[in-house]
Amino acid sequence: MATHDAAQSHAVVQCGRDGGMTNTPLRILYVEDDQRTAAAVSELAQASGDVLIWEENGSAALLRAGMEAFDVIILDRMLGDIDGLTITRRLRESGIGTPILIMSALGRSSDRAEGLDAGADDYMAKPYEPDELMARLRALHRRSAGKEHQAVIIYGSFECHLKARTAFRDNQHLSLSPKEFELFRYFMENAGEMVTREMLLRDVWNIDFDPQTNVVDVNIGRLRRKLEEGFGTPALETIFGSGYRILEGK
Amino acid sequence: MTLEARRSIFSRLVLAAIGLSLALVLVLWFVTHQTVVTTLNEGAAKEVDVDIAGLVDIYATSGLDELRDRIADRVALTPAEGRTPHYLLANDAGERLAGDLTRWPALDPMVSEAGAIAIGEKSRGFARAVQLGPDLRLLVARRTDASAAVLRNIAIAFAIGGGMFVLLVALLGRLAALDLQRRIGRINLAFREPGKAVELIGVRGRDEIDELAGHSARALERQRGLMEAYKETSEQLAHEMRTPLSHLDNRLLKALQAEPAPRVAERLVEARAEIKRLVQTLESLLDIASSKSRRGDKAGLLPVDLSAMVTSLCELYSGSAEETGHSLTWEIAPGVMIDGEERQLSRLVTNLLDNALKYVPPGGKIEVSVGPGPVLVVSDDGPGISPADRKKIFDRFYRGQGHSHDAHGSGLGLALARAIAERHGLQLTLEDCVSGSSFRLEG
Repeated sequence: MATHDAAQSHAVVQCGRDGGMTNTPLRILYVEDDQRTAAAVSELAQASGDVLIWEENGSAALLRAGMEAFDVIILDRMLGDIDGLTITRRLRESGIGTPILIMSALGRSSDRAEGLDAGADDYMAKPYEPDELMARLRALHRRSAGKEHQAVIIYGSFECHLKARTAFRDNQHLSLSPKEFELFRYFMENAGEMVTREMLLRDVWNIDFDPQTNVVDVNIGRLRRKLEEGFGTPALETIFGSGYRILEGK
Repeated sequence: MTLEARRSIFSRLVLAAIGLSLALVLVLWFVTHQTVVTTLNEGAAKEVDVDIAGLVDIYATSGLDELRDRIADRVALTPAEGRTPHYLLANDAGERLAGDLTRWPALDPMVSEAGAIAIGEKSRGFARAVQLGPDLRLLVARRTDASAAVLRNIAIAFAIGGGMFVLLVALLGRLAALDLQRRIGRINLAFREPGKAVELIGVRGRDEIDELAGHSARALERQRGLMEAYKETSEQLAHEMRTPLSHLDNRLLKALQAEPAPRVAERLVEARAEIKRLVQTLESLLDIASSKSRRGDKAGLLPVDLSAMVTSLCELYSGSAEETGHSLTWEIAPGVMIDGEERQLSRLVTNLLDNALKYVPPGGKIEVSVGPGPVLVVSDDGPGISPADRKKIFDRFYRGQGHSHDAHGSGLGLALARAIAERHGLQLTLEDCVSGSSFRLEG
């Protein structure tokens, strides 16, 4: 098995819970006119230690987004005054690049495409999975901080060399197919965080609907075998009903 | 001429008008030419006949010598008006006795034959021959060269006048065609951009084209209104269903987080899955309606690498097929492109693959192929589809015999697949097979 010393590489990002990167509290602007949904999401943010500022209408949200800095913005689409797509466009036009996640009752492919075309970075449909919402917010924040463009990502015993497209565990080369590498890379970019089936389907396979076949589970199963074969400790954690998380593997 | 100009009905109309006016000028010239020729020949014939009558009279009253003198006088005299006369008085052997012509032409004097003759080397004329007596015949002719000049002038006049006429027709035709082209072009543009229909082809009511424009604008407005109403209704429906379902799901999740008894937890998880299915059914129905409403509308479609997309999906499904004991194989021709919405086309293909994996028993074979055309075929060697089911297989909520209690299928997969195909102007059909089933998508 090939071995590699990551210390020789440049632009290495060390990820991990101890690194303080993944659990940094987020400052979130939340625009939602439905009070019950707003209360549920606020509770969720509070539970994860994040700061959430809630605005009930679009004009107030635009004002606040222009005056204060946020890590991420969650936008509803069907608001009383200005719709979420217009808010997104106006924010982008005025040069505000804060990651925007649209969370809407309009969840069809065409609705998602509209949202992303307007300038949003992510799109979730209601009913939402609370864990997934938080995972996506953190992924958005990480992406905007530019962490995913590094040459090498190291997490626990794993190394992901993005340019060379190679993977290592405990300095031993892992033989992955191109798609398995994409999956592994996605886990490494979201190291320490949960990724959901929907995130994987959307970002790895470009599918924004849920296939009737358990394709994600099976592909994760194959990757898991390759990551764990010959090593004593598990590499991927299944979070029941929600998604997966890569482990440090130590 | 560009291809577009060749295809345009207006260019063809202008060309037809030019062709027709040219033909008209040619016909008019020909008729005029013939009429003039006939009239001139009749004039010459009349002069010849009058001259012959006079000479016959002279011969009858004064004899041969007087006739020869008179002929010599007339030959010597060049008339100020009319055609120059020519004569030949000869015996039956054709030997000249008087006159300026030297050779007897092929005209029979016994029947007073008349016709065109050559006069000298270059000239032409009209002549009549008569038998004056035994061994004496007379030929009287008139030169018709002057007629040729008249005819030439007529031809020149027609060439100039006709040319101007054709040019005028071409110019007027082009102007009329441009006006029509502009007006029809606006109607076409309105169909391409229905949002601007009224602005582009506002109703003026001047002629048939305005009437057509008016009908088009109203139809497009109605269509736009329907589309907006559909979008608004579907958005409200989604909002009014999804928001309360979201609250309900949240409550179920909270109940789950309170760590209930395993049996209760199981029920709660099932209830959440039901909510998810309900939302998916709603989405699929709206997607079907949306795709059907845009049937054959190619606006907004972009080139998609069908080969790459299907290969990626087959790779995604290969593990699941292996796990369920199916043999999934694919044969994809490289570089097959299609104009489409990639995510919608992905959905079509995954619905076909989901369908095959669901209904083909373990151990069965599933084959996927993509070829130029484009043609996509997903076939299997499963139990096939009964004749009773074949017609209804693409209907909404139809699950087929023996599958009506299948809790995993929404009964919308194939209906949605067909609606997506139609939205792309493609046909999705179930092919006749001896065994198994085969779905074919083609343009």
